[in-house]
Amino acid sequence: MRIITTVLRALFIVSLLSISFTSFSQTAEEGEKLFSANCTSCHAINEKVVGPALKGTHTKHKEEWFIKWVKNSQKMIKSGDAMAVQLSKENNEALMTSFENLSDNQIKSIIAYIKAESEKPATTATAIAGPAVSSDSGTVGKVGNPYTSKINWLLFIIAVLLIGVIGQVFGILNKVSEIQGKPVINWGSINSKLLLVFLIVGMVAAIWEFVVHGKWTVYATDAASEHGAEYDSMFFITVAITGIVFVITQILLFWYGYKYRADGKRKAVYYPDNHKLELIWTVIPAIVLTVLVIRGLKTWNTIMNHRDEKATVVEVFGYQFGWNARYAGADNKLGNHDFRQVGVVNALGVDPKDPKSQDDVIVNELHFAVGKPVSLKFRAKDVIHSAYLPHFRVQMNVVPGLPTQFNFTPSITTAEMRTKLNNPKFDYILLCNKICGGAHYRMKMKVVVDSPEDYAKWLSSQPNLASTSTPAVPEGPQASKSDKVAKTLASK
Amino acid sequence: MSNLHHDDHNHVSHDHGHHKETFISKYVFSMDHKMIAKQFLITGIIMGTLGMAMSMLFRLQLAYPDMKLPFLESIIGQWGKDGKLDPNFYLALITIHGTIMVFYVLTAGLSGTFSNLLIPLQVGTRDMASPFMNMLSYWFFFLSSVVLIWSLFVEGGPASAGWTIYPPLSALPKAIPGSGTGMTLWLVAIVLFIASALLGGVNYITTILNMRTKGMKMTRLPLTIWAFLLTAVLGLLSFPVLLGGSLLLIFDRSFGTSFYLSDIPADLAGGIERTGGSPVLWQHLFWFLGHPEVYIILLPALGITSEVIATNARKPIFGYRAMIGSILAIAVLSFIVWGHHMFITGMNPFLGSVFMLGTLIIAVPSAVKTFNYLATLWQGNLRLTPAMMFAIGLVSFFITGGLTGIWLGNAALDINLHDTYFVVAHFHLVMGSAAIFGMMSGIYHWYPKMFKRKMNETLGQIHFWLTIISAYCVFFPMHFLGLAGVPRRYYANSAYDQFNVFIDMNQFITIAALLGGAAQLIFLWNFFSSIRNGKRTEQNPWESNTLEWTAPVEHIHGNWPGELPTVYRWAYDYSKPGAEQDFIPQNVPDPGQVDEQAEPNPTKFEPAKTPVSPVTEKDSVLFSVVKKWLGFAN
Repeated sequence: MRIITTVLRALFIVSLLSISFTSFSQTAEEGEKLFSANCTSCHAINEKVVGPALKGTHTKHKEEWFIKWVKNSQKMIKSGDAMAVQLSKENNEALMTSFENLSDNQIKSIIAYIKAESEKPATTATAIAGPAVSSDSGTVGKVGNPYTSKINWLLFIIAVLLIGVIGQVFGILNKVSEIQGKPVINWGSINSKLLLVFLIVGMVAAIWEFVVHGKWTVYATDAASEHGAEYDSMFFITVAITGIVFVITQILLFWYGYKYRADGKRKAVYYPDNHKLELIWTVIPAIVLTVLVIRGLKTWNTIMNHRDEKATVVEVFGYQFGWNARYAGADNKLGNHDFRQVGVVNALGVDPKDPKSQDDVIVNELHFAVGKPVSLKFRAKDVIHSAYLPHFRVQMNVVPGLPTQFNFTPSITTAEMRTKLNNPKFDYILLCNKICGGAHYRMKMKVVVDSPEDYAKWLSSQPNLASTSTPAVPEGPQASKSDKVAKTLASK
Repeated sequence: MSNLHHDDHNHVSHDHGHHKETFISKYVFSMDHKMIAKQFLITGIIMGTLGMAMSMLFRLQLAYPDMKLPFLESIIGQWGKDGKLDPNFYLALITIHGTIMVFYVLTAGLSGTFSNLLIPLQVGTRDMASPFMNMLSYWFFFLSSVVLIWSLFVEGGPASAGWTIYPPLSALPKAIPGSGTGMTLWLVAIVLFIASALLGGVNYITTILNMRTKGMKMTRLPLTIWAFLLTAVLGLLSFPVLLGGSLLLIFDRSFGTSFYLSDIPADLAGGIERTGGSPVLWQHLFWFLGHPEVYIILLPALGITSEVIATNARKPIFGYRAMIGSILAIAVLSFIVWGHHMFITGMNPFLGSVFMLGTLIIAVPSAVKTFNYLATLWQGNLRLTPAMMFAIGLVSFFITGGLTGIWLGNAALDINLHDTYFVVAHFHLVMGSAAIFGMMSGIYHWYPKMFKRKMNETLGQIHFWLTIISAYCVFFPMHFLGLAGVPRRYYANSAYDQFNVFIDMNQFITIAALLGGAAQLIFLWNFFSSIRNGKRTEQNPWESNTLEWTAPVEHIHGNWPGELPTVYRWAYDYSKPGAEQDFIPQNVPDPGQVDEQAEPNPTKFEPAKTPVSPVTEKDSVLFSVVKKWLGFAN
């Protein structure tokens, strides 16, 4: 896979060289970054995702048209632009998010990127199927291992053939038994043996699964948060207890099925009840469950009732189909927000007049400082999303109109985790885990755990609201409305 | 009182005997419970085939996200353009698959079929309390199925918000394509379905409580009937809540209300700003049905298993009263645990603690049931018929899937397991596979009662083995996907490295699923061809004790010619010492037993030395009324 990536990169560079190295490669490279940050939740170059495939789009529209469209496609459709209306119709009138925050030059660089990607030979392009994947994941396993997939199909074909053969054999045996007038196939005997085989093979396969696929689970490495250690110990206690019960009961079930099959010689024992036995197997599970409940309640309460006044406040904002994060800045207080102000310019609906909001920092990537408690506050724009950070054992629904939060302390930096996993490309993620629409499966945000110094450096390099928002809020109905909102919010 | 009632019925049935039936009154608008049971079953099988076919489509997508499958376009048209499944249609498929399987197959197809078939036959009565309502119950179900299938063909596609249709996704018609007309039709279908479930439920309860034959005390009922009774009670108490919830959702969608909506700007919500509601309210209302629904699905399957295991182990079911006690406990507890679906919605952590406590308590009666099944098998004389094999399979799935319930019911562990493939594995084993196996067990066992012929045994056994192997191959590996954090309802995992390493496993699962699907074709063939070509059955093919096998093979309106059978004993006198055969049907008295209310000798098939006479102790008035009503006294 790495070879393919390298080859691709080489091809990419060659194709850029052929045009104009200095100017173009930089724009296309910047375009790639912008594309994967803003567009990949709905678009890919070669395939339709939610929006159409973008291959060759640069040839269909003028650059100015393109810029207008990306910034506010709704306005264009409403204004009756023929091409815009047609495009909207072709895509079942699905709404495209507006990106007025992108500058003309940024959009131009995205176009450059699309152009570069479109001009790649088709075969290699399909191999990586879209830049979103190649940029953030390399191409490990993307295409699947062709050999294993062939083996799987081979297994399938063998299974089907086997079934056919078995069917034929049984058909013949059935005929024989009809002629002889007595059953030839003794299903009781076959089944009892098969039950035993199934038990043994099944148990071996289950162990095999634990060994082979268990190491790919998030529990194979330490949790990346402080409460995660407690979570994991609860987890392994439960695994052990249920595992023991699983093995014992399944063995008894299939063993009895094997041992007590009717052989025509015995009669079953008339044994309708035994109160002592029943008491035993009511009380023992009850005791075990009491232990699990007490332990579970303790874990649950510690995790959920964790409060820390000094925790860094970060707002996570979910929308169809992406995430934003808002850092509270130096005052550690988030500025007020109002859903009525959520719009093209003000994507998060933050009140620009609120003094608390001036130092807020809005980003597309979550950064935490290791060992420093954070308080994630969740807010949704449209439908329910769920913020899931599996490595941190953190998940909370993100519900419009219902503020939710999760407090925790990251304990392993990204760099440390990379060494632990022996995977230099590893990144923590926050992903959407509540069905929210067509691009639900791409709705994610990168999470980075830094050393406190790196974290401080990163945060200070991000522009805050006061520095980015255009000083003069455009006059008009919207502005006066926001004034009103600010007033009502203040009066609260 | 009951005697009088039966004589009355007897009379009516005589009249019917001379009445000439038309095709329509016999096969279409039939009021005969046996025919209605068959209608439920066949509709259920058709819906099940559809639901299964959908799962094959999305399994192919999950295993081969980059492959182009040109045949898709010819099946599903624009949704499979260029052989690629549309992401929105993927969501529609999982939504309709879930809806069909949960409601149409495992509620109506399972409980509808066997409650209708077995309640009158096993309690010993001529038909349901209200045959007309019973017919309506089926036709509401039929109508509901039609509306649901219709929704597959409307613009924007069918509902695609998951089978739990959480608002605002389902409440805002413009949120996704599937939230348009498709969602409206989904809601209409569910409202019709609830009407069907309620009409059926009232009927089942009334019939069981009021129309038992002479001597059929509540403590002599087969466990199937106990399961159907409690299932009907659960449905009657919980379905109306979903009905109310659905009506409110229809208001939100169509009339601009905000029951489930808050902080939704006007441009997303059809021009009206929505504030003040709560999306989580829907989840409470939905899961107040949704969780009992799990037991509405599971209890009939467990009831069928109890009956099949006892019959084929030639042993009394172990701990009959403990079995009744456990299903009662499960039924009651199932109403106070719905919140375990909502641990991470942001509800008060204290509330989470309460729901967690209730949830884990359910494990105790479930454990008792499992151990009682094992004790029933112990020292039995097992006849490994297809029905018995499926019953054993059910117990195996019930254990595997039930144990992971202890993980998920733990609020703390749910934080990281919620909505992952672990959940998918859990419920597909414990209520999907287990309930389907219960249903299959019931079909193989009572097929002779329904169609007067037996299904082919060899095909049945092959069907069983292929199904259990493929079901485990499909669902067991999914636990590990979940433990790696792979979310459910993802169209593809290609955007995530740490999930995409499982692509081989996903291919394995898909191939196992295709194999399982192929195995169901064997079943379908066996089922439909045996209606005409199966071997003719004798009256009591499995040498069972329950009353349905005392009725003639030929179906007659009113079930028994002449008088209804009188019951002298419980349903589980298998291999009782002293008896010639290893079973004693319920209508056979002990030698010399005259009074059907007296309990027969508990240990041997011979007259008890001191016959137990009915009710000697004095109870308070209230207590005796309650006892009488419950059937514990006469």
